[in-house]
Amino acid sequence: MKCVVLAAGEGRRMHPLTFTRPKVMLPVSNKPILEWNLLDAIDAGLEEFIFIVGYKSESVREYFGDGKRWNVKIEYVNQGEPLGTAHAIGMVESFVDEFIVLCGDTIFGREDIKKVVERGNSIGLTKVDDAREYGVVELSGNKVVRIHEKMEKPLSNLINAGLYHFDRSIFDFIKKTDRSPRGEYEITDSINMFTREYNMEGVLLKEWRDVVYPWHLLDVNEELLRKMKGDIKGRVEENVVLKGEVTIGEGSRVMSGSYIEGPVVIGRDCKIGPNCYIRPYTSIGDNCHIGNACEVKNSIVMSNSNIPHQNYVGDSIIGSNCNLGAGTKIANLRFDKKNIKVSLNGRKLDTGRRKLGVVMSDNVQTGINAMINVGTMIGNNVFIGPGTIANGEIKPYAKIM
Amino acid sequence: MCGIFGYTGFRNARNVILDCLKKLDYRGYDSAGIGVINKDELKIFKEIGELGLLEKKLPPIDVNIGIGHTRWATHGEVSIKNAHPQVSCNGDIAVVHNGIIENFKKLKEELEEKGHRFISQTDTEVIVHLIEESYKDSLKDAVFSMIKKIKGSYALAVLSTSEPDIIVGARQESPLVVGIGDNENFLTSDITALLKYTNRVIYLEDGEICVLSKNSVDIFNWNGKKIEKEIHIVDWNVEAAEKGGFPHFMLKEIYEQPHSLHQTLRGRISEIERSISFEDKVESLLDSYPKVVSIVACGTSFYAGMIGKYMIEQLSGIPTFLELASEYRYFGVRDKTSLVVAITQSGETADTLGALREAKNSGCNTMVITNVIGSTATRIADAFILTRSGPEIGVAATKTFTSQIVVLFLLALKLSRKTINPDELSRYLSHLRELPRNVRMVLERSEEILKVAEKIKDSKSVFFIGRGVNYPLSLEGALKLKEISYIHAEGFPAGELKHGPFALLTEKTPVIAIVTMDKTYDKMIANIGEVKARHSPVIAIANEKDSEIEKYADYVIRFPSDSNILSCIPIAVILQLLAYHTANLRGCEIDKPRNLAKSVTVE
Amino acid sequence: MIKKAVILAAGEGKRLKPYTETMPKVMIPVANKPIVEYVIDSVFKSGIEEIILIVGYRKETVMEYLREKENITYVTQDKQLGTAHALLYARDYIDEPFIILAGDNIIDDKSVSRLIHSESKFSLMIKEHPLPSKYGVVFLKDNKVERIVEKPLEIESKFISTGIYKFPPMIFDEIEKLTSHGIYDLTSVLQKLISQGIEVDTIVAERWMDIVYPWDILYVNGEMIHDISSSISGSIEKNVTLKGNVSIGRDSRVYAGSYIQGPVVIGEGCEIGPNVCIYPSTVIGDNVVVNSFSEIRNSVIMDEVHIGSNASISNSVIGKGSIINSHFSIISGKAKMEVEGEFKELENIGAIIGEDCDISSHVAIEPGRIIGRRCSIDSFKRVIKDIPSEMKVM
Repeated sequence: MKCVVLAAGEGRRMHPLTFTRPKVMLPVSNKPILEWNLLDAIDAGLEEFIFIVGYKSESVREYFGDGKRWNVKIEYVNQGEPLGTAHAIGMVESFVDEFIVLCGDTIFGREDIKKVVERGNSIGLTKVDDAREYGVVELSGNKVVRIHEKMEKPLSNLINAGLYHFDRSIFDFIKKTDRSPRGEYEITDSINMFTREYNMEGVLLKEWRDVVYPWHLLDVNEELLRKMKGDIKGRVEENVVLKGEVTIGEGSRVMSGSYIEGPVVIGRDCKIGPNCYIRPYTSIGDNCHIGNACEVKNSIVMSNSNIPHQNYVGDSIIGSNCNLGAGTKIANLRFDKKNIKVSLNGRKLDTGRRKLGVVMSDNVQTGINAMINVGTMIGNNVFIGPGTIANGEIKPYAKIM
Repeated sequence: MCGIFGYTGFRNARNVILDCLKKLDYRGYDSAGIGVINKDELKIFKEIGELGLLEKKLPPIDVNIGIGHTRWATHGEVSIKNAHPQVSCNGDIAVVHNGIIENFKKLKEELEEKGHRFISQTDTEVIVHLIEESYKDSLKDAVFSMIKKIKGSYALAVLSTSEPDIIVGARQESPLVVGIGDNENFLTSDITALLKYTNRVIYLEDGEICVLSKNSVDIFNWNGKKIEKEIHIVDWNVEAAEKGGFPHFMLKEIYEQPHSLHQTLRGRISEIERSISFEDKVESLLDSYPKVVSIVACGTSFYAGMIGKYMIEQLSGIPTFLELASEYRYFGVRDKTSLVVAITQSGETADTLGALREAKNSGCNTMVITNVIGSTATRIADAFILTRSGPEIGVAATKTFTSQIVVLFLLALKLSRKTINPDELSRYLSHLRELPRNVRMVLERSEEILKVAEKIKDSKSVFFIGRGVNYPLSLEGALKLKEISYIHAEGFPAGELKHGPFALLTEKTPVIAIVTMDKTYDKMIANIGEVKARHSPVIAIANEKDSEIEKYADYVIRFPSDSNILSCIPIAVILQLLAYHTANLRGCEIDKPRNLAKSVTVE
Repeated sequence: MIKKAVILAAGEGKRLKPYTETMPKVMIPVANKPIVEYVIDSVFKSGIEEIILIVGYRKETVMEYLREKENITYVTQDKQLGTAHALLYARDYIDEPFIILAGDNIIDDKSVSRLIHSESKFSLMIKEHPLPSKYGVVFLKDNKVERIVEKPLEIESKFISTGIYKFPPMIFDEIEKLTSHGIYDLTSVLQKLISQGIEVDTIVAERWMDIVYPWDILYVNGEMIHDISSSISGSIEKNVTLKGNVSIGRDSRVYAGSYIQGPVVIGEGCEIGPNVCIYPSTVIGDNVVVNSFSEIRNSVIMDEVHIGSNASISNSVIGKGSIINSHFSIISGKAKMEVEGEFKELENIGAIIGEDCDISSHVAIEPGRIIGRRCSIDSFKRVIKDIPSEMKVM
């Protein structure tokens, strides 16, 4: 049975991180979201995958290749235009018989994937607190009656989790699906037609995590790191303190004076220290440099980035190929300790978090002693000059000197 | 210019090819065709006229491999027989082709002697018969042996039922790009056609051959050796080109000029800093002060080049040569201290590319001014400056012309660092800033220009005269009128009229005089007097501030400008609107004038 | 499902001179977007798939701006006789229930969505308004329209008509009948239908804004930019102070020493500074240059404007492309404004300056002056009277 993964979306609400990569490639605990799903699917027994790609597809292909790394087969299909989930799934008709569909940007658990694999035509369900933004599933016993999209007053809080088991009969219904009010071909409309003639079972999932805004990545990062078991492959010098679960990748070097409080994961070929302080729930990608007198806490740092001298990074997400100038610091707490509000795509949002530093996309450079205020959203290829203060939403290619 | 397309993959080839051919629509075509392999049989569908007609002819077949073509006739009339794909005698091989085979007549005779039957008048047909003749068991080898025999330019895609899973492509002096997909691959003459499906491309170079299957792409150089080529990721977006309510693309593009001029200037000038800056590569070319500048171009771009020559010489004093691109290979200056500036809107104009390559091979510094990112010219020249006008669909160049002039003016300013003081530079920069405003004011007067168009629409001949920088404008004005309204028109330097052309003037030949308030003014008034003495109606294009002109001309169309050297921009817009209204009144096909193509990739 | 909307964009908007001399009312910019773009965005967001845009006066400016938007069909209304007459032009494109909106009033997408999804066949969107006498006042009975009275003498209702309706396709026949009797506006058409017994439902709009006079441009801009939060693009030099909500567009440059206090919106490709002060609530368009030591407060500066150094501008609207030289001052204060024969007293108003003006250095303008388009004012002049378009003051 093949596993079809929807990985074509941009994820506009994940700006600025998704200016340069699709949502599924955002890393948590040092693996892209899509890889976590891949690993869980592999554990559930699936071996053949079809990734439906689109937005910035090259980043998905570059990372996953043909699947050899995980001993599975991965094929790709380019959706072409973002015309919706039914349109995407319809593309694989000539490639599959019975198959699983998984939304690549939502995190599922392996037991749940296995359950859905073992059933016949079925759809994964989960319970949420506020069902208004999701598809509420109306059941009769355990059979799906109808999926209702975005209800102002939801019937229940049982929603469509984005994990499906289909057989070839779904394709006829996909072909008959009309455009929805927002102009896309939605698989939920296809399913609503399907359930009038055939049975589709609702399967309640135990694990389910979706991420909507960038700071949600920090929550998932923390959850995954809590479950991690430490593994030191790199070289750790003398007088380094490692507490709790710490993972250090191959080729990495941790120099004297470094104090690492797990759970922390550090990728390959990194240069850590000397004399730096890395605190819990921090993920550091490959080929990074965390240097002298730096403190990093509860943050995600993507590959090839440098936090090299006298920096403070807390509750933040740093993109890849970023370079923080010496002395650059990130504020992560308001004086009045109120919730942090951010400016995203021109709108003000309450993150619900008391602590949030910066969300920085790729290729950002800061000069010495740059100061980044709480909740700053920085686009890709931005330059923040020496001694300047960065605030609010900074769009890609801007220069603050 | 023809467009070719090839697809092999998991999608329905019929639909994909049709979809992509629609994107090649703007290149202009008179007929189109698709060839597919269905159950080991080659099926060809061709139709003249709009793609919609071909679409009606196409049955809904389930096929996964095919080639498509939009034809702009060069050899042979427009007919279904002459449309591509062209097919071999045995009906097993099909070819689509963009380019010209120079020695096709001789090859045709030889093949006919061998028994091949030809049904079309095209040069393309020899290609498919040559392949048929040398075919043994490998389509690729047959194509290799065929290209050794033909002389000329080509971008081809070949299908054969003997090897129904591959498409073979070949390129020589005509753009051809491979698009890499997943479980599918593409071949096209124009990247915009496939950007919807993939953004990974391989640019083929002259002499290279590619073999595409659903899952593989192999490229061979002219020696037959397999080579690895770089896969480029195209990160620029295809700008949608919609008419948006305007009756013609050309009118929309004329109205777009205030916006396109802003785009051309964006990020390149700073009034506050009194500076002009280009991208790094361009800056370093300009830093090495050229002793001589050579401009090469064709058509409307050539006229922009003439204006550019005037600007560069006036402002910087650097001697500037101007050469028609098709003539450059026979004349022109070759010098390591010279800067060769090629101007080509599409970046694919064959003549201009030829000149660029020549210049480069002679050791000159080369730069190209173009509107299309990723075009062949940008990959040949040492540096390029994009005009950023947005896609221009109308065949007659409008916004790209004014943008080219602006770029040339910026270049002239850059090259005059030694001769201009900061205050003068500051004045020029503020005049540049006023250009969109001046154009807007001309556009608001479109009704007045329509009235003048009514007066000239029935003329058999119209003459345009100007002096100095207005002389190339007069050539451009005549070209625009000719191109789209089919009225015979000629531009002359005003001083030349008396050396011959006066004989043509009658009361039925309107003369359009471009009059700017500089040192050419008095002589132009005198010239107008001479024309009026021969009873020809005179329409003057004059500055708003000119209060005397009414006394001399029969009609006056005014433009606002504080700068004499930059008045060419609002004047150009007047000339565009004049041609447009005249053509419209005469009921001409404005966006696709007869016999003309947007980008001339043949020589 | 209602899929089509008709948007009326053909009107001139005479009371918005001098701006409407070169653009139709729908193209007046609010926070750097023309009003009609807000309407179009709300309409598409509410679920409509296709818009039929009725254009007329200066239609090229509308078509040029919207050229990249899809699913819009343009229909030209030859003579602007009235709203019902305009609607008739859409007849060939619609044979199902639809909505119709004015292109020159800002409306939010949720209200449009409620209109589309309401049960009844005939609906009118209404709004509470403090000064209902200026509009068509709607009298309700059980939430249905009883009657609409244009500019009534007595005001017993606080609701006005927004000019946004939902109709079934049979409305076209009704309009045809009435236009042949000389009735050209939709309010009258609706009144006739009500008198024939048709029930017209009402929906109350959440956010609806109208611009009637040039100074309304200031107020509406001030309202709308409160929504826009901080977003920085372009290049910001050292020692620039940005406070509050400041939005700076792509490729714009803000030079050292400038002080910008939000809410302020600055468009693309601008050059501001050095040492320029911009105070709330100011909107600056694209490609604007503001030279050093100038101060702009609570004003709308349209695209391509060029402001020299040491200028002092407050509570004013400056039209596209105007070139203003150094030491320009606008004096704000109480003034009596006259527009198309109507008079208005305003408390704190600066100047209304049209497009493409050329203002030399050291010019001062008294409060409330309206200066037309393409005016030219010589140095050291003091403007105490309105200046009609294309006039030279020497």
